[in-house]
Amino acid sequence: MTNEPVIPEFGEASRCVAENRFFCADWVRDNWAGVLQPALVEHVKLTAIAVAAGFAIAFVAALVAHRFRLVEGPFAAFSAIVYTIPSIALFQLLVPVTGLSVLTVEIALVGYTLLILFRNVLEGLRSTPPEVLEAARGMGCTRRQTLWSVELPLALPAIVAGLRVATVSTIALATIAAFVIPEGLGRPIFVALRDYFKTEIVAAGLLAIALALVADALLVLAQRALTPWAHARRTA
Amino acid sequence: MVRKRNRRAARAAFAISLGVALVLGGAAAAPAAPERAEATPIIMGAKNFTEQYVLGQLYTQALRAKGLKVTYKENIGSTEIAAKALTSGRITAYPEYTGVMLSVTFGRQTTPKTALGTYALAKRLWGARGYVLARQTPFQDRDAIAVLRNTATRYGLRTIGDLRKVPDLALAAFPEFETRHIRRGTTAVGMARAYGIRNVDFKPLSGISAYTLLDRGDVQAAGIFTTDAQLTSTKYVVLRDPRNVFGFQHVAPIVSKKLVAEYPRLLPTLNAVSRLLTLKAMIAMNKAVAIDKKTPAAVASAFLKANGLK
Amino acid sequence: MIAGIGTFGDAFSFIVERRELLLEKTVEHLVLSGAALGVALVLAVPLGVWLGHRHRGSFIAINAANVGRALPSLAVIAIGLSVFGFGFTNVLVALVVLAVPPILTNAYVAVDEVEPDAVEAARGMGMTGGQVLRRVELPLALPLLFAGIRTASVYVVASATIAAIAGGGGLGEILFNQASYRTEGLVGAAIVVSLLAFTADAALGGLQRALTPRGLRRKVPAFEPDVVTRTGR
Repeated sequence: MTNEPVIPEFGEASRCVAENRFFCADWVRDNWAGVLQPALVEHVKLTAIAVAAGFAIAFVAALVAHRFRLVEGPFAAFSAIVYTIPSIALFQLLVPVTGLSVLTVEIALVGYTLLILFRNVLEGLRSTPPEVLEAARGMGCTRRQTLWSVELPLALPAIVAGLRVATVSTIALATIAAFVIPEGLGRPIFVALRDYFKTEIVAAGLLAIALALVADALLVLAQRALTPWAHARRTA
Repeated sequence: MVRKRNRRAARAAFAISLGVALVLGGAAAAPAAPERAEATPIIMGAKNFTEQYVLGQLYTQALRAKGLKVTYKENIGSTEIAAKALTSGRITAYPEYTGVMLSVTFGRQTTPKTALGTYALAKRLWGARGYVLARQTPFQDRDAIAVLRNTATRYGLRTIGDLRKVPDLALAAFPEFETRHIRRGTTAVGMARAYGIRNVDFKPLSGISAYTLLDRGDVQAAGIFTTDAQLTSTKYVVLRDPRNVFGFQHVAPIVSKKLVAEYPRLLPTLNAVSRLLTLKAMIAMNKAVAIDKKTPAAVASAFLKANGLK
Repeated sequence: MIAGIGTFGDAFSFIVERRELLLEKTVEHLVLSGAALGVALVLAVPLGVWLGHRHRGSFIAINAANVGRALPSLAVIAIGLSVFGFGFTNVLVALVVLAVPPILTNAYVAVDEVEPDAVEAARGMGMTGGQVLRRVELPLALPLLFAGIRTASVYVVASATIAAIAGGGGLGEILFNQASYRTEGLVGAAIVVSLLAFTADAALGGLQRALTPRGLRRKVPAFEPDVVTRTGR
């Protein structure tokens, strides 16, 4: 009835892994392609989609709010409240509604980025000095020309600052999302936490930190490239 | 006026991000939609512990080796959540333990006295709901209670009933263990009722393994599984269950009837895998993952290849 | 939508029925957050104030907040766990690492950017460096300093929820255990965490008001914007 199966040698753990030392390079090397790199790639994808979609929506919404002079107060209060809600709760609550898929994570992440980006874009648009607006109107610019030639470029520092915060927060939030939906760098962290397997925890954790710092640095460079005048002023 | 360069930069940035969002969003959404509207997608699920990860990988990889397209959704949660995912269509197959099917999914208070009887009843009950039960595995994995060897010697613990001798008993297990085997509200159920164990301080596991809690002395007893790799060490003692409250727990994949009809190769492939899963094989694979830290995917792949199924 | 409202009702019942559990977890949560904040204050405020007073170390002080904010709290707590093991100490260290950057940066910027005229005037009146710091720079720096402390405290209260996975206790033990405490528990505990964060912020706002010399008082806004986004650095 049951033929005895062939049980292959799966390979013993190295001494480093067996003793659960802090960081075992051999495990990392063996599992980079199978565990760590896919998780990293997933994480980058999750973040990119969330920030891009959040920015697109926030940008349009902020333009509308700016054009029609909508009141920002209640929105600020709302976003302040949402920010104190633990993200782990939000992720778990969304699952029965939107399912056990990447979509659920994305909806939550886009929600969080929207809050940051909307506020920053709007603040940036509103920060144009009145004299400059006067000058533009004086020169005969239409509302649309003023928006695209004056207000938006002057809003760039605030917008890029917002993108920085949004990207970095999204990377952090996406690690927590893995508790519910097994995607991204949070997944190896949670799996390894269960058995207290230090190397995997440290490897995935360091990757998440590195990803966040690299993204932040890249956006700082982008900020400097797009707003040369802001830094010229500083050295004066 | 602000430089043209920066105006263009702003517009470009917006256009790029909108484009990226649309493209990535479309790419992410596309796999979610079934390719042929008529065919039922094979979505294999797995619950949230090592053995389930291995089983899920075994069945998924074996099916893929036969040319079938399978989506694998791991880490779904406890039986209650997994069964609901199955009946709601979020997954279309997953491996479950026969005894747990009866006691948890179908709410049976008493279960049959034999393993085959358990399987037959589960097959009938799932059949009524439109699901087929594939063959059950030779191995079973039952809930059990483990204590440190020191604790067993200290209180003279041999059976679960002996736990009554432990003062201020703290027991750690997966959260669902409480409502199945300790108490529901104020009524004792399952194991606690059968052995008359009162006043258990139950500690639900939330991301830390029960063995770690035993080692640290946070609890005296832990709800574990008989195929856990950690049991190969002499540090732990498994208490005997003479009243068989934990039932018979062979594994059988539950599969939607539609899948069986649409994919004739599905059931035979699953059965070919199940036939190979002896207790020795399962423990070896669990050990490779839990102790030697190999990935479930790699372990499953090696096993299937060694036995000609991949 | 209607189910959502029902869940809210269940959540409030949960809070009422399980209030001993919630109280125990809230106390654990507050002790952890408070301890982390306390250690962070002791470390970051003197250092930041001193650096700002001497107008030194701006690169580190300002970028501390950026680096600190970028750190995913789960990663920091998990790595801390691997170094220190389970329990209070490990999580405390991780939370201190997360709390120090905003406090350090705000302390530095607050003192560094005090009106140079005011400092000049004070020096002209014959005050020593220490007196200038105590009587002029610190009072003027209070609003921005407190903004950093408030940001840090909200962040710590939120991050302490993750502490549960590392054996740190607190309300996270309910949040990470939906299987035991069900949706009512999840929402209930989330509500408590939100309230805690708000209360911490309001309490610190009140403290800020009390410590600011009357002449400098202005309306204390809720959730002072992040100094980094505001100065655009």
